Amino acid sequence: MNLAMSFFLDSFIAACRLAWSLDPELLTIVRVSLAVSCLATVFAALVGIPAGFAIAHGHFPGKRAVITLLNTLLALPTVVIGLFVYVFISRRGIFGPLDLLYTQQAMIIGQFILIVPLITALTIAAISRVDERYRKTARTLGANGWQTGLVVLREGRFGIGAAVISAFGRVISEIGISMMLGGNIKGFTRTMTTAMALEYDKGSFTLAVALGLVLMTISLGMNVLFNLIQGRSGR
Amino acid sequence: MTLYVLDRIVQRYHDRVVLDIDHLEIEAGGIHALLGPNGAGKTTLLHLLAFLEAPASGTLRFQGQPVTFVPKQVLPLRRRVVLVDQHPIMFSTTVGNNIEFGLKIRKIEKTARQRIVDEALTTVGLRHYRDARAFELSGGETQRLALARGLALSPEVLLCDEPTASVDTENQTIIVDLLRRINADRGTTIVFTTHDRLQATALADRTLALASGRLAEAAHENSYVGTVLPQADGHLRCRLRDGVEIAAPSQADLTAATLVRVAIDPHRISLDRIEPAASPGEEHPISGTILLIMAEGEHIRLVVNVGVPVVVLMDRTGYGALRPAIGETMRLRFGADALSFRPL
Repeated sequence: MNLAMSFFLDSFIAACRLAWSLDPELLTIVRVSLAVSCLATVFAALVGIPAGFAIAHGHFPGKRAVITLLNTLLALPTVVIGLFVYVFISRRGIFGPLDLLYTQQAMIIGQFILIVPLITALTIAAISRVDERYRKTARTLGANGWQTGLVVLREGRFGIGAAVISAFGRVISEIGISMMLGGNIKGFTRTMTTAMALEYDKGSFTLAVALGLVLMTISLGMNVLFNLIQGRSGR
Repeated sequence: MTLYVLDRIVQRYHDRVVLDIDHLEIEAGGIHALLGPNGAGKTTLLHLLAFLEAPASGTLRFQGQPVTFVPKQVLPLRRRVVLVDQHPIMFSTTVGNNIEFGLKIRKIEKTARQRIVDEALTTVGLRHYRDARAFELSGGETQRLALARGLALSPEVLLCDEPTASVDTENQTIIVDLLRRINADRGTTIVFTTHDRLQATALADRTLALASGRLAEAAHENSYVGTVLPQADGHLRCRLRDGVEIAAPSQADLTAATLVRVAIDPHRISLDRIEPAASPGEEHPISGTILLIMAEGEHIRLVVNVGVPVVVLMDRTGYGALRPAIGETMRLRFGADALSFRPL
């Protein structure tokens, strides 16, 4: 027990030193992770937020079915998405000529597919919670359809912000898509999670723990930032 | 000048008719009260006048022009009219930004916007709250801010849904005074809803009464929901609540267990200390204790508790002859012509 504790502490201290010394390999891994996850989140937000808004406000046949489908997609395992995208972008796939396999673009596509349903479903929930009186107030103050929509989006901004942060948390910590579509190529598609898995396989825990610390710090930082913005806005 | 003309307007929610107005004209420049109990269709009518909802059928004219409710055509009209909600909601930003919203939409430049915001806040006495969060205001202050938000847009018509229903007495006085000033200083036409007849007569140049979605001839304050009882001795009776029953007329649409809206015209009720020799079906004597007596213009208003509060409006001569006192038990007498029954 003491041996295990001492091993963990040694790894932890070494990891802190590694993180503190801004090790170039560690920085590259963090940069790739952030770049891929941020871009996937931005693209997914650009699609998911308007889609969620349209579904929440729209009256169309099959609306309930669409929402049920979205909620089902939330439980989609990352390896299934990895496999699905792989079929399309592998050499024999219809997008094979684009040579996307084992690139950051492939990872972004996979992560995008993973979180679009999440952002859409959470946006629907956030917009549905916005008081109906905001729409009426905006309209009676002279707002047109777009301006009224912006008012509703603005009033649902914290729910939507939470949706985007949840989505970012989901992609920064996923491993299936990054491994299957990125290939864990050092300096190119190696992310924090795939690097941690590799280091674990090698039995080298220092870098794995250091990356774990960075991952936790990023997650904590995002949530603190969100709470600060929320607090400053007086809600 | 006639501002609004409504012809054969019907509004439905889920196949239920909530508003059914054959003809109504609203003149520009005055203060108009829409009086009626809850569910009478007052808010629905305001939404129509604010061009927020198209009617199910009928024609609405504004300044002589028919309103089509096509988005592009109705938007300019909506920018001339502002509706202040009964429970106004503020955008989650500062007091000043709330007022600026409508001005920004109208593309008014920043310096002019700042000036208008200051003026509007000064008018409603909230100048010092300009940079405060709108959510921090009390209920009465929120209502005043909602008025300022509307006023800043210099609307031709200000529609207020129960502007004083959910505020304290101090804010009620401020709001009523504000509405008078807005009408007098700016010539803004004001239409407000209320279920308080006293406020309607005190503030409005004209009072319109609504009951069950229709325009009513008199402002029936004594409006109750009752149940028609099974026939006894060849006469129908209606129970307003346990122990309070009145005779119901033999109308084709009134059958036992029907839920009805009963209205008793307060002008057609007389008070009496003497045992009435009422013959069933013609007069409906019930007794109660006088809770309140107050002067109201040419009339004296009395509220009598007969199990439900009943308002009686007497002329001053009749009151002088009877001299009823608070706490005294009196009999109420009214003929069938004082009653109206409408199945719900």
